[in-house]
Amino acid sequence: MRLHVVAGCLLAVSVACMGPGAIWLDRARWTSRAPRAAVVLWQAMGVTGALAAIGAGLAVAVARYGVGFRAGLEHLGAGLVDGHPLTGLGLPDALGLTLAADVAIVLVAVAVITMVRTVRARARHRMLVDLVSVETEQAAGALVLDHPKATAYCLPGIRPRIVISAGALRILRSSELAAVVEHERGHACEHHGLVMLPLTSLGEPLRWIPYARRAPVAVATLLEMAADDYSARQHDRRDLARALVQMGTAVTAPACAFAAGGTSVPARVQRLLADDPPARLMAGAVLGGAALLVVLPFAALLA
Amino acid sequence: MARLGELERKVMDVLWGSMETAMTVRQVAEKLPTYAYTTILTVLDRLQRKQMVRRTKDGRAHRYTAAASRETYTAELMLEALGAAPDRDAVLVRFAETVTESEAKVLRLALGGLGDGSDGTSTASAPKVER
Repeated sequence: MRLHVVAGCLLAVSVACMGPGAIWLDRARWTSRAPRAAVVLWQAMGVTGALAAIGAGLAVAVARYGVGFRAGLEHLGAGLVDGHPLTGLGLPDALGLTLAADVAIVLVAVAVITMVRTVRARARHRMLVDLVSVETEQAAGALVLDHPKATAYCLPGIRPRIVISAGALRILRSSELAAVVEHERGHACEHHGLVMLPLTSLGEPLRWIPYARRAPVAVATLLEMAADDYSARQHDRRDLARALVQMGTAVTAPACAFAAGGTSVPARVQRLLADDPPARLMAGAVLGGAALLVVLPFAALLA
Repeated sequence: MARLGELERKVMDVLWGSMETAMTVRQVAEKLPTYAYTTILTVLDRLQRKQMVRRTKDGRAHRYTAAASRETYTAELMLEALGAAPDRDAVLVRFAETVTESEAKVLRLALGGLGDGSDGTSTASAPKVER
């Protein structure tokens, strides 16, 4: 009985993380003042949302043994090995668990396929960049693509590449260029590619879940802010802000491609110009909250 | 490994330099005199497996051409980088997205206080520390 109550609570926690929690965090204004902590909170929400759902399923599965969670898990393990994991379950529980297991398997498979595709696409991109790019003294540490459109990006990987187009070199002054390269170096050093990989991999197949739909966009923006901060440690914030405006207004990509998402550039420019002191206290509180959130499902089941 | 990558670039440069005429291994090797014939052969073989290079038979010799021009590949990369390609998450979010015209106006105004940069005061300041 007690385990059924725990399962119900965990399910509620999972739904709260994936739905209203994600919507709240997406709308929150404070995140731009502590972008790194906010990213950790996004991650904690995702992990807790998944763990709590898994925990709820397990709790229901072991409740029938009536020996508590830990001992129940051992019984369940033995049942799985014997090939009769569903013995002793009522029909609704058995159906529910089977369905949950199937959904989990499909999700993992889809995520793995998407990740493999992303990693492959990155590998091809990396191979081409290495062969096609030229190195110039103008942009030390970056590979230059000879193309008139302005762009700059970091290609994630074990050895990340910072890529800048000739178009960007043309419109940026050297101080701005240095700030941009440092921004991309921030992405590389803090492994933002790894943060984004699971989010983008699960975001597409799970679009109907608010978390999966909102997290990739929100976290991408927060990571840009984190990289802005990284660059601002060594370069003038105003140089970076100016570079952002220059590049944002110079790119003449098809407007329809970006119209839907809305861009983070205005918010980032305002943030750079405002130059508020880092909100350390808030960041600490957010990190503490994130830690509590992740511990919650374990505590509920093992306590 | 890194040396091989560097050599791949050089070989591609040679092939891109003669897009119209396919080259034999010997012709490529002559353009890169510091490297042995067999090394060039290995690199061309690798590039062919990566589908960067096409090989055709010409009598007893093989001739090699770049599969596509440097500009084509650059365009492909830029397309991906600007998010117009279907697999847009291949690349990390680029530095700046396109802003709308009205946003641009507001932003230029906000930056107005900083000067338009034509004064040149902040040019040529190199990064303070190389990481």
